[in-house]
Amino acid sequence: MTGTETVLAIEDLTVDLPLSGGGRFRALDRVNLQVRRGEILGLVGESGSGKSMLSLAVLGLTGIAGERITGRIALLGEDVLGLSPSAWRRLRGSAVGMVFQDPMTGLNPVRSIGSLLVESVRRHQRLDRATSKTVALDALRSVGIPSPEARMKAYPHQLSGGLRQRVMIALALINRPSVIIADEPTTALDATIQAQILDLLRARLADRAGGILITHDLGVAAEVCQRLAVIYQGTIVEQGQTAEVLAWPYHPYTQGLLDAAPRFDRPRGRLVPIPGQPPQPGDRREGCPFRSRCAHADEACAALPVLAEVAPDHLARCWHPLRAATSPFEDAV
Amino acid sequence: MSVDQAQTSPGRLGTWATKFGGNWMLGLGLAIGLLLSLGALAALLMPLPEAFSGSLMTRFKAPLSPGYFLGSDQLGRSVLARLAVGMPWSLGIALTASIIAVGVGTAAGLTAAARPGLTRRVIQHFLDTVIAFPALIIAVTVIALVGRGFFPLAVTLGLATWPISARVIYAEGLSVMRREYVVAADLLGVGLARSVLVHVLPAVRPTLLVMFAFTFADMLIAESALSFLGLGVPLTATSWGNMLSESRQYLIEAPWLMLAPAGMIVLAAVAFNLIGDGIALRSRGRSRSAG
Amino acid sequence: MNRLKAIGRILGRRLGELLILLFAITTLLFFLLRLSGDPAAVLAGEQAAPEQVAAIRALYGLDAPLPVQYFRHLRNVLFLDFGQSLHAGRPAIDMVTERLGSTLMLGLFALTLTAVLAIPIGAWLGARPDARSRRVGNAAIFILQGLPGYIVGLLLIELLAVQFRLLPSIGNRGALSWVLPTLTLASFLVPKLARVVAANVTEAMREDFIRTARANGATTAEAVLRHALPNALLGATALISTQFAFLLSGAVITEWIFAWPGFGQLLIQSLQRLDFPVVQAAVFVTAGLVFAVNAGTDVLFRLIDPRLRNQRA
Repeated sequence: MTGTETVLAIEDLTVDLPLSGGGRFRALDRVNLQVRRGEILGLVGESGSGKSMLSLAVLGLTGIAGERITGRIALLGEDVLGLSPSAWRRLRGSAVGMVFQDPMTGLNPVRSIGSLLVESVRRHQRLDRATSKTVALDALRSVGIPSPEARMKAYPHQLSGGLRQRVMIALALINRPSVIIADEPTTALDATIQAQILDLLRARLADRAGGILITHDLGVAAEVCQRLAVIYQGTIVEQGQTAEVLAWPYHPYTQGLLDAAPRFDRPRGRLVPIPGQPPQPGDRREGCPFRSRCAHADEACAALPVLAEVAPDHLARCWHPLRAATSPFEDAV
Repeated sequence: MSVDQAQTSPGRLGTWATKFGGNWMLGLGLAIGLLLSLGALAALLMPLPEAFSGSLMTRFKAPLSPGYFLGSDQLGRSVLARLAVGMPWSLGIALTASIIAVGVGTAAGLTAAARPGLTRRVIQHFLDTVIAFPALIIAVTVIALVGRGFFPLAVTLGLATWPISARVIYAEGLSVMRREYVVAADLLGVGLARSVLVHVLPAVRPTLLVMFAFTFADMLIAESALSFLGLGVPLTATSWGNMLSESRQYLIEAPWLMLAPAGMIVLAAVAFNLIGDGIALRSRGRSRSAG
Repeated sequence: MNRLKAIGRILGRRLGELLILLFAITTLLFFLLRLSGDPAAVLAGEQAAPEQVAAIRALYGLDAPLPVQYFRHLRNVLFLDFGQSLHAGRPAIDMVTERLGSTLMLGLFALTLTAVLAIPIGAWLGARPDARSRRVGNAAIFILQGLPGYIVGLLLIELLAVQFRLLPSIGNRGALSWVLPTLTLASFLVPKLARVVAANVTEAMREDFIRTARANGATTAEAVLRHALPNALLGATALISTQFAFLLSGAVITEWIFAWPGFGQLLIQSLQRLDFPVVQAAVFVTAGLVFAVNAGTDVLFRLIDPRLRNQRA
């Protein structure tokens, strides 16, 4: 387990979707991300920011007619965009696993838990039925499901939401993928269950895989992610070590997210919403995507800023960063 | 995934259809339906002697013979003229039966939707029971007892099939009743009957139209089926089903006697199915763009 | 135990429905027959002399007051006594039941053919409804749905029996004579079932669990066959009861077209001859069949749908 091996490298990933009225909508714009083994990268943004599109693009499951995807998605060093559909398909569930948001609808109601797990094992590993069953049982055990033998025969509706999400995680992990993508894995769950699931994800990922945790919740990201990327309108606006990005945000949007998030260490009544609405698909978009909602915007923002290093291992895309591009430690003094 | 659908569905035909104010299904269906209705009216107003009398000289003329575009039958009557004369019977019975079926169905469906509790349970139970029973068997039995004829047939068909409309209207009415504005009207003390008439009925109108079109197509087929079984319109009358029934004896020497009425029945049934699907598609599209 | 109890409850409810249905039908037929004129005259036939009518009236107790007749009738029906066939002079119920096998076999063949044709067609159409080939297929199914089954039957006869003389078109004489009736009866059902399966598959393919399956490497075929289709078929099972009614209606017409010696043909013949004891027996037996199928479907549903299987009723 070398901490430095890059399991997933996304380079200049751009996704253009056709619009119904003609024209195109850029869902992702030159996104660059790296995930190293044993690391969880948090991808934070509002709904519609393109964060789910990114996960589907990595899996090759966007499935929209007329879409155009450019750039590079290197899974264990291999560019999946250049693969044949069937070669890419074979990586799904084996090299990359996915945990979706809603465990209520994400599991087939007429298939037993065991049959789903065994099906996935047998698809990717040449194992007989009995061995596959053992693998499936181990997978259920490893995600902390009590009495797995009984659960194998259970159907999704017989399990609680938390258990179902554990099953989803078991399904994503069962073929020991190197990359796990979890798209809002706790949003549909009760707060008390959320923490358990996050612990589980962190524990399961730490030993063998790298992961992307997609969330709109900075608190969730702060809890489990070593690094953080903030995405706005398909563009990464800020990226760096989680603690640093949250403590010393450079981009006004990151600051806005922090101000809008409820925190226990602040008196009530100080939640500051970000003014305005995110632009709609089809709106004219040039320059900094955040400028229509940004208090600091001026003429300079009519051009798109570059994602520049504002501090060591800390990137931000802003003409008017909230603090001078120096070491955060000097800033704190 | 609505982006997805909007992307992939319309081709050139699609855009043309959108401009047509709905879709090609509705346009085509209405065009055929209108032609048929005009034909039926014309057949009622015009004397068509060649539909009723022929001579041995003119028997079994093949289609496209001079004066007999669709050929002639075993009595030397013009098949085309007989199709025209059959139109008022076939379309008229289908129309009357559909009005009865959808009318009774709407009343029962909305009553069940508006009145939870015992009324709803009784109606639901009744519908389930009747729908499970073959409507054709009910219809032929009743017709055999009450006698053939325009109104016996229309009324029997309507009364044998209304539960299907009722079930659809009930489901639709229930979802409308649950929408907030009806709840609000309820709270404001608007009477139940009034709120059903003012709020629910207009809201289920697209469904009503769809049901009407589908029922019409079904009734058309049912009428011809009953006549084909010899238990429909009077044997002396000319309807498409009767023509089909008679044609069976001449399948070898005069297949057009079967093909002509069969073609008309299929054309009319497909037209009204198209209208129904077209309206369904259109009202769905509208609600999508509004919501 | 719970499962047995639930099944018992289903059967009980359906049995209640059956009793109500039979009562309603019996009453309806009883009064319709009397409303439509003098039943004795109808029973005696059109050319009957007045003495014959009087004899029939006495024989069937039609001279008794109406309520007495009604309750006597109800009692007889309760013991499946529908009287003698006016045409054949044999117990009406026997005539119906001995024809039943032929009809049920025809229905079974047609249903099998329907499933074999409609499920793959539906799955194919529903998997990618927007693809051009599927839209052509949808249009074809749509038109076929507007094509009444008896017209399909006539066309089949015209083509395969009359023009090419390949198959027999009348009666039940040997294996080949099953072909056209089976095809005809299936043609009533195939377009409907294919459309339902297609719609259900399309709906299922939009579900999150399909995305989960694909994220685990399922091919499109696997996603359709192993994940969407089971859901779609389960949904289609709910339609069996209405479709069975449709199947019976179709069987009546099909038997009539092909002079098939089944119970549908008997029903139509008896209606044309005004042989009411047989008609009543036939309608009664229809109700029994409907009950058996509906109760069977309910129980089956409970056994195969995992969402219901372990539930208390």
